[in-house]
Amino acid sequence: MTSPTGRVYATALTFFVFFLTWAFVAAHPWPTSAAAAPDPRLKALAAREQKLRRESIATQRIVKRRWAAYQAQLAERNSQLAAAEAAAAAAPPAAPSVQIVSQPAATATSSS
Amino acid sequence: MTRRTFRAMGTDVELLVQAAEADGGLAAAEAEFHRLERLLTRFDPASELSQLNEKGSLEAGPDLLEVVRHALAGRSETAGRFDPTVHDAVVEAGYDRTFGELPDDGPVPAAGTPCGGAVRIDGNLIELDDGVRIDLGGIGKGYAAEKAATILAAAGPCLVNAGGDIALRGIPWTIAVQPQLTLELAGGGLATSGRDRRAWRRAGRELHHLIDPVTGEPAACDLLRATVIAPDAIQAEIWAKALFLAGSHAAVAEADAQQLPRVLVTRSGETRLAGGLG
Repeated sequence: MTSPTGRVYATALTFFVFFLTWAFVAAHPWPTSAAAAPDPRLKALAAREQKLRRESIATQRIVKRRWAAYQAQLAERNSQLAAAEAAAAAAPPAAPSVQIVSQPAATATSSS
Repeated sequence: MTRRTFRAMGTDVELLVQAAEADGGLAAAEAEFHRLERLLTRFDPASELSQLNEKGSLEAGPDLLEVVRHALAGRSETAGRFDPTVHDAVVEAGYDRTFGELPDDGPVPAAGTPCGGAVRIDGNLIELDDGVRIDLGGIGKGYAAEKAATILAAAGPCLVNAGGDIALRGIPWTIAVQPQLTLELAGGGLATSGRDRRAWRRAGRELHHLIDPVTGEPAACDLLRATVIAPDAIQAEIWAKALFLAGSHAAVAEADAQQLPRVLVTRSGETRLAGGLG
């Protein structure tokens, strides 16, 4: 090819094809060996996360169940205390031992 | 037996102790009465009680705090028949100065003054609702009798009689309740409330210091006085006032139901024993 115009077109086409090839290679459209075989540490981490998530849910269930049992016991205890306090308030104070005697009195009471 | 008498809290106080040498204990017990009188009297504007009544709230000392606590518990236990908030009602009825200074007669008292206002205790702080003032005259004597008896008991078995509010320690003591009626008490306390001692006249009408919190006026009941035996003189004072206000029929029924020994004297002169005494 001796025509200068033809040479310019040929050169431009060569450059275009070169950059197209370079872009294709840089994009890695084919699967790599790393992607095909994921990192075992990541796998273990994911498995551990799943396990922890399951354990967390189980723990929350246990805590919820025990909290409910505690609340029920607390309510029962509070009602027992309230009943005991009410009974104590209603009950008269226990009187000391007293009897009528015919001995001389040590002192006398009168309206205060 | 050693005996000492003196005046405190507007009444005659008698200390008895079964010990040959008890001067120190007797002096300390008497000093305790005067100390508590300075705190609890409503007739001295400088007393802690007067300061509380004037300001409506006060960081109280341990004694005022304890007496007010007892008074509020008593109000609750007696369904309001014992009430420390009768101060203004007592004053309106004419008992506005020490009993010894009261004139024989005077103008007609104002109509019943409301009682039953709120008294709150928060830590050491006592707060009164607006317009509420408290009177600790009776229960103060019971409290002082108990405190003095605790001090005197170090010297030996003792009895403290604060004008009818009696605290006992150590041994059974004999106490004349009526001319023909003597009781022997082993511990605890005894108190008598009645209209036959702190009474006065206004416009010819006989009035007394036992205010019915419902009417805000001196109680109009059929009893002359009520004597109650209880675990201590404070409880006895509370229940003596509450029973007096209940009247003879209700007081007998209540005493029998509670099995608390009581001696009731009606205005007609009849003596009724209740609560297992008869």
